[in-house]
Amino acid sequence: MVKANHIKSMVAAGEREDGRDLKTFRPIKVSVGMLKNAEGSAQVQIGNTTILAGVKLDIEEPMEDTPNQGNLIMSGELLPLASEKYETGPPSPSAIEFGRVVDRGIRHGNCIDLTSLFIEEGKVWTVFIDLYVINSDGNLFDAGTMAAMAALMNTKVPAVKDGLAVRTERTTPLKINNIVTSTTFAKIKDKLLLDPDGDEEMAADCRLTIATDEEKVRSMQKGLRGGIFKAEIEQMLDVSFNKHKELKDILTKAQV
Amino acid sequence: MRNIVLPGEIIAQVPQRIENSYIENGKTYSKIMGMYEPNTRGVIPLEGSWSPNNEDTVVGVITEQRNKVFIVDLMFFGRCLLIPGKFDEYVFTPGEIVEARIKEVENRKTIVLGDGKLLEGGRIIKVKPKKVLRVIGKKNTMIDQIKALTKTDIVVGLNGLIWLRGGDIDLAEEAIFKVEREAHTSGLTEIIKQYLENKTKRE
Amino acid sequence: MGGGPNKPELVINGKRTDGRDFNELRPIKIIASPLANANGSAYLEWGNNKVMCGVYGPKEANPRHLADATQAVIKCRYMMAPFSSLSEHGRTGPNRRATEISKVVKEVFENVVMTKEYPGSQIEVYIEILQGDGGTRVAGVAAAAIALATSGIPMKDLPYAVSVGRIGEHLAVDFNMIEDNYSDSDMPMAIAPRNNEILLLQMDGDMTKQQILEAVQMGIDAGPQIVEIQRKALKAAYEASTTK
Repeated sequence: MVKANHIKSMVAAGEREDGRDLKTFRPIKVSVGMLKNAEGSAQVQIGNTTILAGVKLDIEEPMEDTPNQGNLIMSGELLPLASEKYETGPPSPSAIEFGRVVDRGIRHGNCIDLTSLFIEEGKVWTVFIDLYVINSDGNLFDAGTMAAMAALMNTKVPAVKDGLAVRTERTTPLKINNIVTSTTFAKIKDKLLLDPDGDEEMAADCRLTIATDEEKVRSMQKGLRGGIFKAEIEQMLDVSFNKHKELKDILTKAQV
Repeated sequence: MRNIVLPGEIIAQVPQRIENSYIENGKTYSKIMGMYEPNTRGVIPLEGSWSPNNEDTVVGVITEQRNKVFIVDLMFFGRCLLIPGKFDEYVFTPGEIVEARIKEVENRKTIVLGDGKLLEGGRIIKVKPKKVLRVIGKKNTMIDQIKALTKTDIVVGLNGLIWLRGGDIDLAEEAIFKVEREAHTSGLTEIIKQYLENKTKRE
Repeated sequence: MGGGPNKPELVINGKRTDGRDFNELRPIKIIASPLANANGSAYLEWGNNKVMCGVYGPKEANPRHLADATQAVIKCRYMMAPFSSLSEHGRTGPNRRATEISKVVKEVFENVVMTKEYPGSQIEVYIEILQGDGGTRVAGVAAAAIALATSGIPMKDLPYAVSVGRIGEHLAVDFNMIEDNYSDSDMPMAIAPRNNEILLLQMDGDMTKQQILEAVQMGIDAGPQIVEIQRKALKAAYEASTTK
């Protein structure tokens, strides 16, 4: 409570605790390929928010209405070790929202070429991405989107022999068609803050996450009980497109 | 169509401190669905949970005793208390039904009661608080006639809980629920009278 | 969203699959207070959607440790009945989609309900989709707004909801299920009509910045029509009780 009020007064003066301006991300670090059993992996840190993404590919039957395409299944976990606020047990609505929002940006961005996942009739690859939040300090959405994207860009598809996966032979990189990044804003009083940290999120009235590629918006999600206005949405869309190139460069450089 | 207003509807272009409204940017808005006429006390609710007022008579159930204080269930979201020594002395047991009067309402959520009286035997039914006034009737006409024609002891709590004992208790209960269901019908007092007279004639 | 060999034609001779224009809403029918036990309730039909909503409270918060001493806690549960879908039987019990929808709908009412008037209490909003045909969360918000109004719980505004989406180069309001499944983009919204403040906003698919802003405006422009239907339903339900 006390902290939230302190943040609100700082923000009213256009200031943030760590000295950033309202439209700057915290330092972002991306590393890939650290988990050898996974077909693809990445870790993203935005400030102290740290998310690990692991990708596994399994051979499965395709969905009835898309017999020539593979599938993408994404899920997110807020690990109890990430914050004293997280508990064990079934996923909370926030955890569910987190997984689903990150999924939508990547899915609707058509980031993975799903037809490249076709193996033979009745057999396709399903790409499982699991996001593991290991330290929570605000803005899980953007870190999650970057972690998922980075892990996918790092993923190699196993060879197939006699209809079975040969996981020790990972030859082909997963075909990526598009790179999507996201920006999340916290609205505190009438100020919009990009990339809120944990304290800023607690003080926020409203939150908006926008996932874009170079030209299109792929998903949006508003959260918390405060409202927003059309003019504010326009401002945030502009920042989102502006930041996309910067974030995409970070992702591309990390793969080298 | 009478002046029914809805939440968020402007009722005055100037700030006015009237019931069930709020002021924003110099204008007055209704916060509920209700009836409004300009230059009156405020918006009259058409529905809603009971709003406790001092001197309201209520009916409730003693749920426990903690540090001598009796906690009463009035089907209200806050705490309702009978405090021995504050207004009177009381000796109750959890499970007992009491009639009492509201003496103090603190912070909208704690009700302190006084004049607690045990209601022995009988049973409790619940009606929507908004309908309770219809069950009582103008100058008690409705409830008095139900009591007279069924010979049942009845205590009506403005919180929506009603205690009944004796007489043709099932018929009294049916009549009360009928009033609740048909509260908006005109000539209801006469309708209930006919209903009760027909039912009691058959005995 | 979009794609697949079975994708039907969504625009035929300038009209949509059900013959509507792009800015035409499906018919909405509302019955206020259909349930005897709930403190507030509403039954709503929006196109082929059939929604029942019941509100309980304010009542004592349960469990107590989740109560907020300064205001009412709002609990919202959006659920699709197992028989609600044209396709297979839906398994009972909450699924992730329903959990997320429950959360974003709850946030709409956390905004408009005057929760500070009932500290320490909880208000329960149950939204049951009995029959679904696209835009169920939007219909759910509309039903819940009416149900809360009939409960007498004070609110600063009566929110409405609508979805706007993209079919090719057209923006259209109020997608039905076919449009939901095969269109290029969909954006459900809930708006407080007093000042056009947006309380629920989700979008997926692909839209340019201009399309999004245009779609938001279409949602705002659809407001008066939907609000009028809500108002009529509420006033009609209580006309009887006020004329003697």
